[in-house]
Amino acid sequence: MTPFAHHEGRRTFLRRLAWGASGALLTPALLQACGRGPGGGGEGADKEGADKEGGELVISSFPLYIDPSRPGAPGSVERFQRDTGIRLRYGEDVNDVRQFFARIRPALAAGQTLPQDIVVLTSWMAARLIELGWLEPLPFERIPNASNLIPSLRKPSWDPEQRFSLPWQSGIAGIAYNIKATGRELRSIDDLFDPALKGRVSALLEMRDTMGLLMLADGKDVSRPGWSDAQPSFDRLERARRDGQIRRFTGNDYQTDLLAGNLAACIGWSGDVAQLALEQPDLRFVVPESGGILWADLMLMPRGARHPNAAARWMNWVYDPPQAARIAAAVQYISPVEGVRQILAKDPATAALASNPLMFPGPAEQRRLHLFGPLSEADEARWDERFARITQG
Amino acid sequence: MSVLPASPRVEPPVTPASPQQPPRHRGRSQRPSSHGLSSHGPRSHRPRWPWLLLAPGLLWLLVLYLLPLLSLVPLSLSEPVSRFGLETVFRGRLANYQEVLQAYGPILLRSFAYAALATGLGVVLAYPLAWAIRFRGGRWQPLLMGLVVLPSLTSFLVRAIAWTSLLADQGPLLQLLRSLGLIAPLEGLGVLHDGRLLNTATAVILGLTTNLLPFLVLPLVVAMQRIDPVLLEAADDLHAGALRRFTQVVWPLSRPGLAAGILLSLIPAAGDVVNPRFLGGPNNQMIANSIDNLLLVQLQAPRAAALTLVLMALISVAVLLQLRRGLEELPLP
Repeated sequence: MTPFAHHEGRRTFLRRLAWGASGALLTPALLQACGRGPGGGGEGADKEGADKEGGELVISSFPLYIDPSRPGAPGSVERFQRDTGIRLRYGEDVNDVRQFFARIRPALAAGQTLPQDIVVLTSWMAARLIELGWLEPLPFERIPNASNLIPSLRKPSWDPEQRFSLPWQSGIAGIAYNIKATGRELRSIDDLFDPALKGRVSALLEMRDTMGLLMLADGKDVSRPGWSDAQPSFDRLERARRDGQIRRFTGNDYQTDLLAGNLAACIGWSGDVAQLALEQPDLRFVVPESGGILWADLMLMPRGARHPNAAARWMNWVYDPPQAARIAAAVQYISPVEGVRQILAKDPATAALASNPLMFPGPAEQRRLHLFGPLSEADEARWDERFARITQG
Repeated sequence: MSVLPASPRVEPPVTPASPQQPPRHRGRSQRPSSHGLSSHGPRSHRPRWPWLLLAPGLLWLLVLYLLPLLSLVPLSLSEPVSRFGLETVFRGRLANYQEVLQAYGPILLRSFAYAALATGLGVVLAYPLAWAIRFRGGRWQPLLMGLVVLPSLTSFLVRAIAWTSLLADQGPLLQLLRSLGLIAPLEGLGVLHDGRLLNTATAVILGLTTNLLPFLVLPLVVAMQRIDPVLLEAADDLHAGALRRFTQVVWPLSRPGLAAGILLSLIPAAGDVVNPRFLGGPNNQMIANSIDNLLLVQLQAPRAAALTLVLMALISVAVLLQLRRGLEELPLP
């Protein structure tokens, strides 16, 4: 339900970037558009499918998570429609994964279908939906480009055969700060608890990111998160909330506060901060000394999705490296598609991105990034409850 | 948000039949004598059919309000069958109430404290405003009343979000306070926290006050309409100062409006979800935020129902107390 103030400048910037990138990428995109469906049988089936389904596709995703259109430089949504003739309704209506779950739960629990053919959600939610049997296996036979998926994101523990999910973007949860406001570089989670920053620090409502970072700072293993291991971190967070050290717990909306100068430092997401920093050069993002949390958002097909063929077309299209490169250049997260880095490196306008360790973490950086492991259903309930009691006061 | 169910209650002060006033209309007081059956008393001769006029409203409340509310009772005593399913099973689980009271008791208290403070602040703002509109508004009176309502035409959600810029640390309001050197004194008074306004209790209470101001001002203006200016002149002739004119004329005669206004503003304020969410911090959340979280994040529908019923019960008690006090004052038939 939460509409948050989009920062207009940021959108403008994204559009500017898309504009810059399009010059170099237009040719491959056109080639791709002309050469679709090279396998004759595949094309026939696709067309037939598209006709049957009325050539429609409905997607729900997070806000500002794709390259937007601007005059003369169509964004991915527009280009996909042009390339395929499929009418795509792309909604940026996932603000909070848990609230989105609450929204879709009544229909799915009652065995009804959702209007969405694809939902983009975080991995732990994907795991939950798989467990509940609320997802459709993806038609991988129609997504040949899925072979471009980078190895590190293949076959996650919660989808071991890679049947239900295909990554949209991946990213890092770490510390974002405004160097002018902090007056110094921040390096560790402890810095967020510095009394000098009282009331100018926020943490994420995404429990696994906030708790994961705090637990790493406590030297705990987040790949197998244990209830008792988490208690010191919970206690620390609760004290900081009570003392007024933590001003807010946020979703995406920490960006507005960071730009407005209400926050000096916060727990944030790498791509957001990379984009914001181009507008506000004093903003920094750092993976804390104790390690960062690596997460992934995934494309999922809810049970009974009405346009599976169109959904496959979309997934195949965004896994085409030139398209993926445009999305990556706009959102500046870790692209799940192999070959994006080379494409970005070739264009002077985007070459700097290709050497950005937050977009393309090398082996040394990857060792400092950790995946937050699964929580059992019973464990998750008490984690959620304790975390809610802390964030809700 | 509770404008719809609450609005009928605006009417009591409007009904123009104060007991002390002589009957102005040829109403029910004349009807018995015209029938010549005065020995039976007035009650038995009132026609019954006007009660039927209540039927649509009662039916509306029954179907859309009372039944859903009653359905919360069994839910609040149930347990979810599974964590993510929708089904719940009735177990007569009173512990739900105990648990939510234990966990959310302090937040309940905070909600009522914020609502009371906002209402108090609203009364202080509304009295001079209503007085000016009534006695100094002249022919601009309808326009001024319109202006009071005008802010409510903007969604209160949009208003709260807009306020986040207005109250921001580097925002215009704080800049002004800074240039006036008011930061330290206001901090001393507990109005500002850590030199900021956004994400504090003050911001939440100010936001609530803004929402409820029209609900206080309008009934007050209506109540003051019935104060004959001659009374004020008479008080003046008797050498009553401004203060005594207020305490002995305006205040007692406008109290029915005040009683209605407090009812109309306290209830929605106690259940507000938007102001704490956008203007408050994690230490300033109110009970509706907890219910929202229980239902949508923790997926604990039974406990959310229990907490909702506790809130409803507390509000009902407050309303009944207010009505008991106000019954002599409210010009009910």
